[in-house]
Amino acid sequence: MITKIVSKNFEILNSHTMAVALENGRYASLENLFLQKPREIIDTISQSGLRGKGGGGAHAGSKWQLAADTQGTKYLVVNADESEPGTFKDRQILSKDPHLLIEGIICTCYAIGSHISYIYVRGEYEEFSDILQSAIDEAYEKNIIGSGAQYPLDITVHRGGGAYICGEKSALLESLEGNRGHPRLKPHTPQAESYFGEPALVNNVETIASVPFIVENGAEAYRAYGTEKSPGTLLFALSGHVEKPGVYEAEFGLGMWEYIHTLGGGVKNGKMLKAVIPGGASTPILPAHLVQEAKLDYESLKSLGTELGTGGMILLDEDASMVKALKNLLRFYHHESCGQCTPCREGTSWVDKTLDKFIAKTATTEDLKILKSVSKSMNGKTICVFAPAASGVINGFLKHFENEFLECIQ
Amino acid sequence: MRITIDDISIECEEGELLIDVMLNNNINIPHFCYHQDLGADGNCRMCMVEIKGAKRPQIACDTFVKENLEVITKSENINEVKRSILELELLNHPVDCPICDQAGECKLQDYYMDYGLYESHLTTPKTKKGKAIELGSNVMLDQERCVLCTRCTRFTSEITKTGELGIIGRGDSARVGVAPGHELNNPYAMNVVELCPVGALTSKDFRFKQRVWFLDTSKSICHGCSRGCNISIDYNETKYTREKIHRFRARRNARINQSFLCDYGRLSYKELNNSFKGTSSSIEDLKELLKEDKKLALASPSLSLEQLQAIQTLCQTHNIKLFCLAYYDESFGDGWLKTNDKSANLASVKKLGICTCQEEFDAALQEAELILNFDHTLLKHQEFGNKKSVQFTSTHLPPACGYCFGFANFAHDTGTLINCEGITQKFYATRFRDKNPSLSELLEQLR
Repeated sequence: MITKIVSKNFEILNSHTMAVALENGRYASLENLFLQKPREIIDTISQSGLRGKGGGGAHAGSKWQLAADTQGTKYLVVNADESEPGTFKDRQILSKDPHLLIEGIICTCYAIGSHISYIYVRGEYEEFSDILQSAIDEAYEKNIIGSGAQYPLDITVHRGGGAYICGEKSALLESLEGNRGHPRLKPHTPQAESYFGEPALVNNVETIASVPFIVENGAEAYRAYGTEKSPGTLLFALSGHVEKPGVYEAEFGLGMWEYIHTLGGGVKNGKMLKAVIPGGASTPILPAHLVQEAKLDYESLKSLGTELGTGGMILLDEDASMVKALKNLLRFYHHESCGQCTPCREGTSWVDKTLDKFIAKTATTEDLKILKSVSKSMNGKTICVFAPAASGVINGFLKHFENEFLECIQ
Repeated sequence: MRITIDDISIECEEGELLIDVMLNNNINIPHFCYHQDLGADGNCRMCMVEIKGAKRPQIACDTFVKENLEVITKSENINEVKRSILELELLNHPVDCPICDQAGECKLQDYYMDYGLYESHLTTPKTKKGKAIELGSNVMLDQERCVLCTRCTRFTSEITKTGELGIIGRGDSARVGVAPGHELNNPYAMNVVELCPVGALTSKDFRFKQRVWFLDTSKSICHGCSRGCNISIDYNETKYTREKIHRFRARRNARINQSFLCDYGRLSYKELNNSFKGTSSSIEDLKELLKEDKKLALASPSLSLEQLQAIQTLCQTHNIKLFCLAYYDESFGDGWLKTNDKSANLASVKKLGICTCQEEFDAALQEAELILNFDHTLLKHQEFGNKKSVQFTSTHLPPACGYCFGFANFAHDTGTLINCEGITQKFYATRFRDKNPSLSELLEQLR
């Protein structure tokens, strides 16, 4: 059931060091890479159907094309600001196979014509950032990157200040430019991101780490995994009330329940499953009966009213309080809202504070109405998708578990 | 190109911002963060409109007009959207309008009356933030009243480029502030008070002095330098007090001062309340004096074109040598609004061909037996020994300065100025008459 493309070397001892990485096939794709023209690499990526693995699922090929076609000094920015609750896949790559990421960066930079790359690492990931930095140092020593490399390229690690919103690509770029991490207004026509006015490509760690396999083996080899619309694999993760929490790479399209049961060993302590938050905290919750139907790909989960997101599943067993679970999530959103747009700034704090009354069982029917109306006010009226995501989370809980909230009303 | 807003067809240009088109055509569009001279930021979400063909409501400050765009600003749906955003803006607001200086010109109040009119739904305690914080340069901050539109921070970062103000904290603890140990300190700082759409930033100079609905407004021009910034003079006369000017506000003129004014000009209103209060000498005495032989007149370069013309006519009739010396201060100009030439109307002086030569003036002053000074600061407080002098002044003078005639200052007069760029502008008198006559009226009597 496990398909190892990105996680191939994860279990090898000292896989983060250059010697071990080289022994295990790292940088092998570069030979094939430089035989091709940059344009051919972008075509291969487009044909492979590789989708962004940071949660959005946008097609990587078209983003690359935009960046490659835009005039100017190009930058590749790797988004390693992994802060979504329930998501802990990128840190595996950073700590267990950083050379795969570097290899992916070389491929991507070659394809879009960039010679400068930044890796924006979540502030709290100090340990992983150090491992990554030592791998980069080794790559410089070996002239795999740097000015003496076959393709001159500089990679710089930049640690964030610890804000969830900086995982949003435009906020990330603002932060990288030295400004407050506030998302930018979206452009009206498709265009490359901008870093100090120059074109930039922002991709998630795992997306970039998937590139060497495609460059080495071709688009068809990648398409052999997964579904027609969601090809390839994802580092799905399990956490919460599960016997064996962890990151297990699998191809898209598997049954969710089958995945949880086979790889996660089922619900912890043999209890019944109540619900699963399917793709990191910001996706609407899926109650147990829908989990049986769900397939692990973008389309199936969309049809069930939720999202695949980052693929980090959080399990909640039969004893879990949905009121407390929602409070836990909203405390996070309240704390992490950047405060730029009114609906998000005021909405997240209002819902969070109102949920305290549900926890204390002193809520009124008016409070339930507030949850619903504020969640509506937060949806579709902001610069970035933070507030709509929070709104979707609130709606999901209220849609499937409203009875638990009604029980908290005096 | 034409677009349709609420079934009204409007002419506009491709690529214009929808909100600009609406503001220029006096279509009501609620907004906090957008400002025509600061640009769009898109954070307040108040300017939402429905656009035919778009799935969701869009913000007008980030929508560019295109041919045949159909916009709806009034519908049940969009009013509900505005109401919900407004409710969030007002959620943690202290609603202390009775003690807030912004009351009466507050956007939150206006929009609440337009789109709100609901009872508060808040059932949890309000977020507490800082009150009555002195930022420096006469600016007071109340963080609880703030809607975080960032107009003030954008002003200091993008316009003055001094960057004193910033947003500190995130989410609902985000607030405007200065870095510890620093203060808001630049020659244009008080603009943030006017830019603030709510009562978060107030002026220490104006705080607690007047309710704005008791104020009248006249359109005027700042006389502080040759830029000719457009201003509104806010003044009133009450049952117990004579007319008093309470503040200057910048009046938008895209060609000259946009929506801004320097603090020097803004606070120069105080001089206008210090008008001539003594008794004027008799016109008959003056007529006698004018029979003297060697006469010299010095006019202030900040007098209006009309006043200068009247003086020029008088001088020609009575054979008086007329001079006008510029107010020049090398340290005043800043390359933006302030100019080194501190005379408000030097261009008119030159247009009328009045002599501005210092040497010629000095020589004439030596010879002159009678000196007429029209409000020029150079000769205001000067002793002339055995020479006779006549002061025409709009400000208060110490007693015993010879012959003295008070005339109305520019707030109480209507006139024309030509600024440093050659732009001719009119300013208008306030509603209440000063007890001093206008200079032109005064000189009329000497004919």
